[in-house]
Amino acid sequence: MKDGKGGLRGRRRQGACPTALLVGLLLCLSAGSVWGQALEYRRPVETAPQPDNIGGGYKTPAVQKPLPRAYWLQVTDVVLLAAAMGVAVWLVLARRSRRWLVGLSMASLAYFGFYREGCICPIGSIQNVTVALVDPKYSIPIVVTATFFLPLCVALFFGRAFCGGVCALGAIQELVVIRPVQVPRRLDRVLGWLKYVYLGLAVFYALKPALARDFVICRFDPFVGLFRRAGAPHMIIAGGVLLAAGMFVGRPYCRWLCPYGGLLAWCTRLARRGVTITPDKELDCGLCREACPYGAIEQMRAVRRDCLYCARCYDACPRHRTLVQIT
Amino acid sequence: MSDEPTRRDLLGTVARGSVLAALAGGAGFLVNKAHGQIVWQVDAARCINSRLGETGVPACNLCTTECVVPLSAVRAVNDYSHCGRCNICPAYFNITSPVGEHGYPSRKLCPRDAILRKPIGKMDPEDPANNFYEYVIDEEKCDGCGKCVMQCKEPLGLGSITLRVRYDKCVNCNRCSISKACPQKAVIQLPAGQAV
Repeated sequence: MKDGKGGLRGRRRQGACPTALLVGLLLCLSAGSVWGQALEYRRPVETAPQPDNIGGGYKTPAVQKPLPRAYWLQVTDVVLLAAAMGVAVWLVLARRSRRWLVGLSMASLAYFGFYREGCICPIGSIQNVTVALVDPKYSIPIVVTATFFLPLCVALFFGRAFCGGVCALGAIQELVVIRPVQVPRRLDRVLGWLKYVYLGLAVFYALKPALARDFVICRFDPFVGLFRRAGAPHMIIAGGVLLAAGMFVGRPYCRWLCPYGGLLAWCTRLARRGVTITPDKELDCGLCREACPYGAIEQMRAVRRDCLYCARCYDACPRHRTLVQIT
Repeated sequence: MSDEPTRRDLLGTVARGSVLAALAGGAGFLVNKAHGQIVWQVDAARCINSRLGETGVPACNLCTTECVVPLSAVRAVNDYSHCGRCNICPAYFNITSPVGEHGYPSRKLCPRDAILRKPIGKMDPEDPANNFYEYVIDEEKCDGCGKCVMQCKEPLGLGSITLRVRYDKCVNCNRCSISKACPQKAVIQLPAGQAV
């Protein structure tokens, strides 16, 4: 071992010598112009010195090797997703409380949006599920499967609780709804078809052969850039424009573009329970209709497939307020 | 408003049940073929910055420019067990820069000054060239531009520095934007267990 060390050190000395020689030679040759010359570089060692060669009690440090997100943390994401949907259903259908629902959606925005940076989300998982269903060589982890199917199952029974309580993309738009105007019903309907076109395109691009495959929902996600504080400038601008428009037109992405919203709307048509407006013989004020920024109350009835679980209608209802005060 | 189930209720239950069954079937199919997590990683044997034979060409910095993560999720990582601990490290110094006062190149290579150099082991106070030096890459400063990787490989270096995807930074995009741009197809997907 001692020999090996000596040899290595010796070789290192040799390696250092040409450097010194070269510098010296250059100094001799041209007194003034030495600093303009670059080194003629030669690798001083042929093998990496090990702790024994280095001496002085040196220990080779471990290579930085951060592991992927732990499995239990991924499962936690799914559990939180399920729990948040459960709480949203309870808050809206049983408690009829908008204030707590806003709290829940802000917590979801903080966790699923800014902490998890928008990934994974059911909207993008449409593509992975599509590919995994069709391509025999492609498969997805169980957590992704759960992320995709859980909100659909909840929608099948209670409506779009995911949109109101959990979705970070929805929550960030919900924050900016300041002065919503009612969009003409016909226009709303026509624009509503866009999300099915988008869904079709997303499936079309996801089903292309592996090398040509494209995940358009993720690539054109307008808000993920804000969550990550980084991303393609044009998509961050698109997100900013959507948020600016969202001040006057409630949640434009959710209503007209979100492909997963389209799937949830289909499931919600079959929902067992959902937001309901109880007919009232004495008071037919329509305050709830005016309060709904999403055009989801038509002729004093809730249109469940369009209802985004924001509970504004309950909040605006004078009867509901009275009831709360009594109990 | 009776408790008797109406025809409409029954139809609703049947429809709901069948959709639920379809969803469960789809989920079951996917769970059945599921595997563990898949991650993106740089294949050092394909990456132009680390693969042998490409010398004297400018380093490829697509990992820096294409990644969606700030500074990029790809960082240069020094595998110390293969590091030569050279006195004049071609990845630390810009060896084409003019020689400075102490015989070292006058400029550093890293544009973000992310590499730290310190003498290690038994010191020789007489001759600094006879000491070993450890080169630690500050992963918080590194943006994976690949300049040091290109210089560290043979014949100038021993190839201990390579570009690696940092899984704590990588958001595991469906289609990694670097992999899309990489002309060498060096950014590949592999099971987390096999990833280095």
